[in-house]
Amino acid sequence: MTELQRQTLRAALDCVIPPDDFLGAWEAGVGNYLALQFEGDLAPQMTFYLAGLDGLEAEAIARFGNHFFSLGPEDQNSILQSVESGAVNTSWTISPQKFFKLMVETAAEGYYSNPEQGGNIGEVSWTMTGFSKYGPV
Amino acid sequence: MKDFDAIIVGTGAGGGIVACVLAEAGKRVLLLERGHALSFAEVSRDQLRNQRLAIYGHNAGPDIEANPRVFIDPLGNRRIVKPHELDYHNNAACLGGGTRVYGAQAWRFSPDDFRMASKYGVPPSSSLADWPITYEELEPYYERVEWELGVAGDGSNLQAQIPRKRDYPLPPVPPGPQSTALREGARALGWVVSPVPLLINTAPYNNRPACIECKYCVGFACPSDAKNGTQNTVIPRALASGNCELVTDAIAEKIQTDSSGNAIGISYIGQSSTVPQRQEARAKVVIISAGAIESARILLNSTSTQHQFGLGNEHDQVGRNLQGHLYPRAYGIAAASVFNGVGPGVSIATTQFNHDNDGIIGGGMLADDFIKPPIDFWYDSLPPDLPRWGLRNKQFMRDNYTRVLHVRGPVQDIPNPEGRVTVDPSVKDRWGIPVARLSGTTHEETITAAEFMRERGEEWLRASGCETVWSTRPELMLSGRQHQAGTCRMGDDPGSSVTDKWGRVHSHDNLFVVDGSLHVTNGGFNPVLTIMALAYRSADYIANSII
Repeated sequence: MTELQRQTLRAALDCVIPPDDFLGAWEAGVGNYLALQFEGDLAPQMTFYLAGLDGLEAEAIARFGNHFFSLGPEDQNSILQSVESGAVNTSWTISPQKFFKLMVETAAEGYYSNPEQGGNIGEVSWTMTGFSKYGPV
Repeated sequence: MKDFDAIIVGTGAGGGIVACVLAEAGKRVLLLERGHALSFAEVSRDQLRNQRLAIYGHNAGPDIEANPRVFIDPLGNRRIVKPHELDYHNNAACLGGGTRVYGAQAWRFSPDDFRMASKYGVPPSSSLADWPITYEELEPYYERVEWELGVAGDGSNLQAQIPRKRDYPLPPVPPGPQSTALREGARALGWVVSPVPLLINTAPYNNRPACIECKYCVGFACPSDAKNGTQNTVIPRALASGNCELVTDAIAEKIQTDSSGNAIGISYIGQSSTVPQRQEARAKVVIISAGAIESARILLNSTSTQHQFGLGNEHDQVGRNLQGHLYPRAYGIAAASVFNGVGPGVSIATTQFNHDNDGIIGGGMLADDFIKPPIDFWYDSLPPDLPRWGLRNKQFMRDNYTRVLHVRGPVQDIPNPEGRVTVDPSVKDRWGIPVARLSGTTHEETITAAEFMRERGEEWLRASGCETVWSTRPELMLSGRQHQAGTCRMGDDPGSSVTDKWGRVHSHDNLFVVDGSLHVTNGGFNPVLTIMALAYRSADYIANSII
C-alpha cells in the first residue's frame, strides 16, 4: 500500500464510521484490522481493494482537483455516495459498488467485532452500544 | 478387524444418545465422529467465525478446505460451496455435533405436527405426510430427554397445545426487560406466552454448574459447561460404561454389505497416524447419525452390485424431502432499553400460531432472540432504510443496540421431494469420497406461512410499544442448515419412505438411521428435542429387539 493509498483509506474509513463522542474507524483500529485481514482471509481481495482506493482518489482529482484525503467531509461523502450507487465520473477497473460494499462491511467488522482482531480498540464500540456495559462478562 | 455389537456414525443429538443407551445396556459400541472434541478455547468467541455468523470461517467444523459440497440454485446454476457458506447448509462437525454450539432450545413438537397430512390435506407437489407414530407414543421419550440431559422451562402455559405429564426438571431462565415488554404486548393482544425451554442448567444439574448468563450462547461453547449437549451428558456416560470405543477424526466412507446385501459394518478413513488410513469395522447393527445431509450421503455412497443406487434407495427416496426452517424475523424500536446484558437472551415465546391459522398450512413459533454481538446486530438487525455507513448508521448503533426488540421463529416447512440431497458425480472430498449435492427449494406453502408469521411478529412488536417496526420478507429457498431434516423419512410404506417407525431402513434389518433425517415433517419448532426423543426410542428398540 502506498502512502497515498493509506491516506485515502484513512479518510474513507472515517467517513464510513466518523468520529463523534466515540472514536472513528481509524482511531478505533479498523486499519489494523484490515492489515491483519489482508494477510489472511482478505488476501485474495487486496488488489481489488487497492484499486478501489485508487478509484476514490481519481474521483477526487476529477471532480475537485484535490486529493481525496485533502477534501472536506462534505465532498468526501459526495464522492462516496456516487461510488455507492455506481454513478462514478472516472473509468474504474473494478465495480465501484462492490468495492464500496466491501469497504463498508469490513469497516463494520473491524469496528464492532472482537478487539483481538485489531479494531474496536478499548472495546469502544461495545461501550458505545452497551454490549459490554451491562450484564456478566 | 474389530467386531462390535453396534457401530454408530456421528456423535450429535441422535448418535450420542444411542451410544449411551446401548453402552449402558452392555452392548459393545464403536462410536465414530468425523470431527473431534473441541475445548472452550478452541471454539473461541470469534464474532466473525462462528456458527451464527460465519463470514470468514467457523468454529466447530468441518474443515473448510477438506469438505466441499455442491449447491444447485433454483435457476440450475451449479457451484462448489465451502462449509461456512450459507448454501452449504452446515451443521457443526465435532464431538457433540451441533449440540456443542447450539442455542439449545428444547421444544417438543405438538401433537398436530405428527399428523400434518390428515389435518391439512396434501398440497399439490408437496410430500406432506403423517408420521407413522403419534405424539403420545413419543411423549415418554421427550420426558426422558428433559430429565436425563436437563431442560429448563415452565410447561404450564403450553399444556393445552403440547400436553405433558411431568414438568421440566429445571426452572426457566429469568425474564429480562425484553421479555417484560413482550409479555405486556402479548397481554394486550390476548396471546398466550411461555418461557422458552432450553437445554441449559439454570441451576446445578448432573454434577455440572449453572449458567453464568454470559452473552455468547448460540453459535459458541458454554464457558461454565452449563449448556447440555451430547458431548457433556450422554457421551461421557457411554464412555464411563467401558463398553464404548470412541474414534474421532474418522470419516465414514460407506456401509459395508455382504454378498447377500446385508449390512455388516463400515469403512472409514482414520487419521490416528500421520497418513490417513482406510479402516473397516464389523458389527451386528449399523446406525447412521450423521445429520440429514451427511446421513443421506453415506447411504447413497454405499453402493454395491446388489444396491447400485445406494442402501435403502430402492424407491429413490433417500435424500429427498430435505427440510429445515425458514425464520421470519421482525424488529422494532422499544420505548426504552430492553437490554440488560444477561444471557442467553432468548426467554419468551408464543406458540399461539403453530396451527389452526386461516388459510395457512401449519404455522410457527415466535420468540425473542439470543443476545447478538454488535457486529451480528449490524449485519442482521438494522432497518432497511437506514444508511449502511456514516454518522446516522453509527448513531443508530449507539442509540438503539439496547432498544431494538427482535422476535423470530421457525415456520413449519412444507416438504417437497425436489428439495434434496444427491451425491455429486465429480466433486470429492479430501479423502476421495463423493460429496453431497443440494438442490431444490422448500414448498411455496412454507412462504405463505412464513409471511403470515412475519406479520404476527410485527403485530407483537407494535403491541409491545414499538412505534417503528420492520421485518425481513421470506424468500423461496432451500431450507436445511442447522435444523436439517427429512432425508430418510420414517413411514409404513417402503415406496414413499426410507425407514420404518423405528428408524430401521426398510430393506435392511440391521441398518438404522437415527437423526433429523427421520422427521417426516419438521414441526414449527427447533427440532433437537425431537431428534433426541426419537434416538432414545430407537435405541431402546435396538437394545431390546435387535442385539
